[in-house]
Amino acid sequence: MGKISRRDFLKTVGGAGLVASTIPSSFLIDLYALTPTRKLSQVEAWFYKKLPDKEIKCELCPRYCQLGDRERGYCGARENRNGIYYTLVYGKVCAAHIDPIEKKPFFHFLPGTTAFSIATAGCNVNCKFCQNWQISQVRPEQVENFDLPPRDVVRYCLKYRCPTIAYTYTEPVIFYEYMYDTSVKASKKGIRNVVVTGAHINPEPMKKLTEVVDAIKIDLKAFSEEFYKEYVRGELKPVLDAIKIVKESGKWLEIVYLVIPTLNDSPEEIRKMSKWIIKEVGPDVPVHFSRFHPMYLIKNLPPTPVSTLERARNIALEEGINYVYIGNVPGHKGESTYCPSCKNVVIKRFAYQILKNNLRKGKCKFCGQPIPGIWS
Amino acid sequence: MGKSKVVMIKGKGALINNRINTKVISLMFKKGLSLLFDCNDFRDALNQLFSPSDRIGIKINTIAGRKLSTNPEISLTLANLLTRIGVRSGNIIIWDRTNDELRRAGYRLNFSGGGIKVFGTDTRRINYEFDLTIHKNIGSRFSRIQSRLVNKSISLAILKDHGIAGLTGVMKNYFGAIHNPNKYHDSNCNPYIAELYETYLIKNKNKLSILDGMIVQYHRGPSYHAQWAKKCELFIMSTDPVAADYIGWQFIEKLRKERGLPPLEEEKRMPYYIITAEKMGLGKANLNEIQLIEYEV
Ligand code: SF4
Repeated sequence: MGKISRRDFLKTVGGAGLVASTIPSSFLIDLYALTPTRKLSQVEAWFYKKLPDKEIKCELCPRYCQLGDRERGYCGARENRNGIYYTLVYGKVCAAHIDPIEKKPFFHFLPGTTAFSIATAGCNVNCKFCQNWQISQVRPEQVENFDLPPRDVVRYCLKYRCPTIAYTYTEPVIFYEYMYDTSVKASKKGIRNVVVTGAHINPEPMKKLTEVVDAIKIDLKAFSEEFYKEYVRGELKPVLDAIKIVKESGKWLEIVYLVIPTLNDSPEEIRKMSKWIIKEVGPDVPVHFSRFHPMYLIKNLPPTPVSTLERARNIALEEGINYVYIGNVPGHKGESTYCPSCKNVVIKRFAYQILKNNLRKGKCKFCGQPIPGIWS
Repeated sequence: MGKSKVVMIKGKGALINNRINTKVISLMFKKGLSLLFDCNDFRDALNQLFSPSDRIGIKINTIAGRKLSTNPEISLTLANLLTRIGVRSGNIIIWDRTNDELRRAGYRLNFSGGGIKVFGTDTRRINYEFDLTIHKNIGSRFSRIQSRLVNKSISLAILKDHGIAGLTGVMKNYFGAIHNPNKYHDSNCNPYIAELYETYLIKNKNKLSILDGMIVQYHRGPSYHAQWAKKCELFIMSTDPVAADYIGWQFIEKLRKERGLPPLEEEKRMPYYIITAEKMGLGKANLNEIQLIEYEV
């Protein structure tokens, strides 16, 4: 069997130890009770144009795939059938999990709560360092999928008392319609929606998405077009535009930067990015510098030295970003939130666990400094 | 290294009223092979490429439905010729990505019965390798048909225009042997098609390259559009995949010119990957180094 199974999936993205301990066993029972489906969805896609001769042009992401009949886009999740463009992954989930919100990571969004996390197969870029390539760099029929229509996502969320749904693991842009509809349904029940994305998306769909979700975490994979071209197979500019759109929308935004030794870790690049963040979205957007582990097509580089992450964090702090974190280094002091005013620890973390929360109504309990975020 | 030989073999009456005449097809294959290897009998030609103990994959192209896919009569005729040199019919697999596509193109699947096998990579128990094969810009999981079930292969591709790559030919046909072809369509599929062909699982196994030009889609491919499709009743055959694709490309350009269409280069989709493949040493892509034999049966 070449397909990734549920068991593999849980091992791959569910992680072990701390994470596994947060999953209610009844959830696993529910998950295993679902029957895999071989049928893909045939739901008309949004954001595409019909062209002569049954061709179409997808305008969801900056690739603008132009396709003839029976062809699929770069993401592998959309197909032209007789001149109509369809999403093949609407409600066809290849990963479902209950994760700590800190795992996304969101550090300023309902800390210590869980997120019902879902993904469908496919991605509109091809990062050579992808951590979930077994489900992102495949076509939907190459993994085991389960029917989970929006109403069932909401039902599970309520059943397992998850205050949030996270669209994550692969690239939610490619399951846009499903994410959007689920968000609308969930919001009506008081459930929050967060998106974990590389934000390789066009402005119009991005704006529309911000109308229905509560927070977006954007993976800024480097601060150079060359890197995006070579290692992401995408473009930087649309990602920067998307970051600005989220900020303008007023929805909560966090940025993650995976630091890869020798490829995107130069102090100059980190400084340039920090300056851009300050200028365009302000000093209060949390920035996470995450540790890289050799994976997928980049196996010849070592994991990021902790000193490199610390250097990046120091540069960002020097430039004036208030909340700068170090990710994937459990126990590091850079995992915690510090009050920019009195410098006390406001939220003390260990990996995905909250050890201490010194926030009182969104303010530092020591000095009263407001700490931006969604806290309740 | 000498010139690469390419045979363009035409068969009048090979396709009448959308029906394949297997007698003509058989004749075309036999004569084409004999010309390719300078011998009187096609069996002598096949014996230079295959032995009776081989397990041979015939990678066909069925993405575009019944009107523009490898016709079952064509691939089965070729498979039958292979049995004439002693290859066991059960050791020949006619295959593509999915069983659905094969069915839509008119194939009757045969996974475990006797005789020539016909099935897709998505057959249960087949599928793609779990591990990636990494080579230059390629990182893909291969169909287990190509990686495990066969030790030699034939690319039997449909000759057609392609909206991004410029040309679908024998090299691009192997996009159907990997799990993620959609990831290799940037910059006119260049250098991806050439680099994929260069992987050991393809380069070392592909022994014969055939472009099926019964109907040639010279514009708006890879899907079928009657107004830009021409009945040509030909095969382009070579042991050099680059040379076969090069001749196929020139043929498409010729048909486009006849219809007043601009060259592919003007439409920014020249199949530059063919030139790249030549630079990589995978074959020849210029007429000075190709011996083209045209023949009509
Ligand atoms: S979303 Fe998919 S089909 Fe649409 S432009 Fe992007 S990669 Fe292409």
